[in-house]
Amino acid sequence: MKQEISVLMDGEMFEDEAEAFFDKLKRNPETRQDWATYHLIGDALRQPDHIHRDLSATFRERLQAEPTILAPHSRSPQKIKHYALSAVASVMALAIVAWMSMQIGNEPAPQIASVQQSNAIRPASFHANDYLMAHQEFSPSADVQGAATYIHTVAAK
Amino acid sequence: MRIESLKLGASFLLLQLAAGVVCADPLLEDSDWLKTMAFAGHQTNYCGVFVYQSGGRVEMSRITHIADRTGEHERLEGLDGLKREVIRNNDKVWLYLGDKKVRIEKRRAQRAFPALLPEQIQTLKENYQISQGEEDRVADYHAHTVIFQPKDGLRYTRKMWAHSESGLLLKAVVLDERGRVIEEYAFSQIEIGGKNIDRKWIVPNETEAARLAGQKNLSPLPKASFENAPSGWQVDSVPAGFKKILEMRRVIADKKLPVVHIVYSDGLSGISVFIEKVSDVTDIPGLSGRGAVHMYNRLVGDNLVTVVGEVPPRVVIQVADSVRYAGE
Repeated sequence: MKQEISVLMDGEMFEDEAEAFFDKLKRNPETRQDWATYHLIGDALRQPDHIHRDLSATFRERLQAEPTILAPHSRSPQKIKHYALSAVASVMALAIVAWMSMQIGNEPAPQIASVQQSNAIRPASFHANDYLMAHQEFSPSADVQGAATYIHTVAAK
Repeated sequence: MRIESLKLGASFLLLQLAAGVVCADPLLEDSDWLKTMAFAGHQTNYCGVFVYQSGGRVEMSRITHIADRTGEHERLEGLDGLKREVIRNNDKVWLYLGDKKVRIEKRRAQRAFPALLPEQIQTLKENYQISQGEEDRVADYHAHTVIFQPKDGLRYTRKMWAHSESGLLLKAVVLDERGRVIEEYAFSQIEIGGKNIDRKWIVPNETEAARLAGQKNLSPLPKASFENAPSGWQVDSVPAGFKKILEMRRVIADKKLPVVHIVYSDGLSGISVFIEKVSDVTDIPGLSGRGAVHMYNRLVGDNLVTVVGEVPPRVVIQVADSVRYAGE
């Protein structure tokens, strides 16, 4: 059902399929709620500034109950650009956008903060150093910045 | 007489052609700045204090760089908090945390010079709009600014301040798609080309480097492990503009089994994909990050996939989610 919603929102559903889907939508209140939720996600992704103001408490609960779906099927590189706006990107993407604004912006988003703690951008742990160091060797930016790029590895906690 | 004027005409034409080449592509000069910065970064002796800022955190570090007959030597010392230090001696890197040396890493064998190859510059131009900004002053030095504006939302904007005389990078800022600063690093004080730079920390020679490595039972990695080798793993959703530059099995720190390491680059940012067999996993950290560098973990069967890169969080997640085993 969720797949169908996102296909419809992306404008990729055939007309007869859509008719049948709208029928289902009318009869099933749960689906209607999903439909609203997906639109809210879409809106939030397009306007990450305002998401925390738009989130209702019930939606927050639903978000917590939601499994993490991040479109497992492969996409061609050209399609990647639409990734951020596609509803298929779903709950996970919403959480990330929220975390990005949390991480980068000054404005607080306390409601989001309580959601999906596991998806937060946490400060990379000590064990992450191995990967950071290994990545460092081949990162193009190391050519210009030299040892300064190691700051990511030795950053104080 | 006729031949003379013909010669004159020809040389005039050549001159025009030469001038034409320089003017025809305004990007040439701008991307040349990056080459100059990379060259200066490797060849200049300098010592200075730089300030690193990210997400409301501020850190001071001292960086020393020396290029001499024996190669390149670099040292980065954190000046506040826990004592931490990185020393690089050509292709070997030591990391000190607290008061003990915890690790020695072998870096990629010395790169061919100049560091940026023409095809890398080409890749860069495909993905970024390169332009020069205002002239400025950093740490009391005159600087030129170069801006790398991405052509899509899959990478960050960078602005760099290069010392007008030497080309050395004095300040760099990473911005997100809405123009907010994600991280910034800038020298607050720097001595360029000075003779009084402290050299006592330099590991004197290869024998000494080998002895130090031996003390920690860390033998240098065999060169063979850096060779390109198909791993059978496939990354389906590599963001547009990123090209695979390396695929190998390698040893990382004290992990017992070799790890598959695939590297992608868009000319300015890198994405590393690590894949390793794991037996019992208790904690998958998920998304983490430091400044512009983000990391994401995910299990594929009994393999742990780790993606690291100087790219927005959704890009590392997208890459990690598209990793699959396609067979040898």
